[in-house]
Amino acid sequence: MKKKLMAGLLVMVFVFSVFTFSGCGNENQIIIGTKDFNESIVLGEIFAQVIEAKTDISVKRKLNLGGTFICFEAIKKGDIDLYPEYTGTGITAHLKLPVISDTEEGYNVCKDEFDKQFNIAWLDPLGFNNTYAIAVTKEIAAEYNLSKCSDLKVNNASQNISFGGEHEFFNRPGDGFDGFCDLYDVSFKGDTIKMNVALKYKAIGDNEMDATDAYTTDSEILEYELVVLEDDLGFFPPYIAAPIIKNETLLKFPELKDVLNLLSGKITNTVMTQLNYNVMIDKQSVKVVAENFLTEAGII
Amino acid sequence: MEIFEKSLEHLYLVFTATVFSVIVGVLLGIIAYRVKHLDKIILWLTDTLQTIPSLALLAFLMIFFGLGDLTLIIGLVLYSLLPITRNTYTGLKDVSPFLKDAAKGMGMSKMQRLLLVELPLSFPLIFVGIKIALVTSFSIAVLGVLIGAGGLGSIIYSGIQIQDVSMILKGAIPVTLMAIVFDIFMTFIEKRMIKKAKN
Repeated sequence: MKKKLMAGLLVMVFVFSVFTFSGCGNENQIIIGTKDFNESIVLGEIFAQVIEAKTDISVKRKLNLGGTFICFEAIKKGDIDLYPEYTGTGITAHLKLPVISDTEEGYNVCKDEFDKQFNIAWLDPLGFNNTYAIAVTKEIAAEYNLSKCSDLKVNNASQNISFGGEHEFFNRPGDGFDGFCDLYDVSFKGDTIKMNVALKYKAIGDNEMDATDAYTTDSEILEYELVVLEDDLGFFPPYIAAPIIKNETLLKFPELKDVLNLLSGKITNTVMTQLNYNVMIDKQSVKVVAENFLTEAGII
Repeated sequence: MEIFEKSLEHLYLVFTATVFSVIVGVLLGIIAYRVKHLDKIILWLTDTLQTIPSLALLAFLMIFFGLGDLTLIIGLVLYSLLPITRNTYTGLKDVSPFLKDAAKGMGMSKMQRLLLVELPLSFPLIFVGIKIALVTSFSIAVLGVLIGAGGLGSIIYSGIQIQDVSMILKGAIPVTLMAIVFDIFMTFIEKRMIKKAKN
């Protein structure tokens, strides 16, 4: 009995070693990672499908990795070859630099510094900016004729508009609520309402407030028919999305650059919001959403 | 079918990790029992490992071992050490001193005493430790998806992403079921062992 048990154990150990050490080393393969939120996963799937359609490289997906830290460590180690990243995150989290509010400058700093420090290349921006924004209900936008943030100041419109948002937005020192009110020189009606992220869209949908903070590509913007006000004074730092890829991988598969750059500028804020909506609200599968986007945009 | 495949992966990860935990854990337990002064250090170490939040430990291990199954398995082994090492140590300590003396009196060497008397007598307790380690590993292994390992975590986390409760359940129910089945099965064996030991 005991001997059998020991033999069983040994077999398992052997099987395990074979499993672990045979997995590596597929010559014609790249690995795509994404962070653990919806938008990142959709982008990763789009990258994967465009590569599969345009090249004969096989793609392994590691979607849903636990956040920025893990994706970045993984690409530095070479466990993944590429993943979608945002310039704002690149500058503050990876390069540990202060916020850069100019879009183009931010992108160029990322491009140069990542190449120098990490041997990672930034490909062309996809075309959207997922940053904080102020969103108002359709009715309020029509009533006060709002399309950009400085419209809030016209005829002191903001004083008739109530504002509520997530806790973090009020706590952020530089690019939060107070900074916004200072720059645009506005104040809102009554006390601001502070709440949990998940509740803020429901609250504005139920007309408990008129304006809130949003991420510019949130699917709820479509769901609740909100109007995102253009940040015309450039208060919120840009978070431009682009594929980032190891230089080594680009050397090995030079065609990847052109293939991924087919997506350049194709995914605007409107498109990205719609893609998020299709997955989050319409419950379509990520695969289908990515495929439909690529065919409709005429990329594959 | 995806669920079936992912369940198998999950099982494989948990099993492999448990096999290694048993080897390392029992060995550490024996060392703690045999080597003076080392017991405090070893038990403190396994206790401390247990208190590190799982995701933090996995993210930390990932820096050294990269993405994938190996990192998750190492993480699971580290978490399993506490119940196995501690139970081995306690089991060996609690073997009746009369029996230990009797074995000594029969002229057994240290090694013989350990292998033929002390370990077999403490096996029921060690087995409980293994059971605890195995059952908790099922739920910790769910986090594997965040460091690129396989298993049912990918279904659960995709469900969380798109706020789809039925998808979350599709991943969570097999995890729970497997853990419960193993718990019942091993408890049954454990009871039989205790019964046998009493007779």
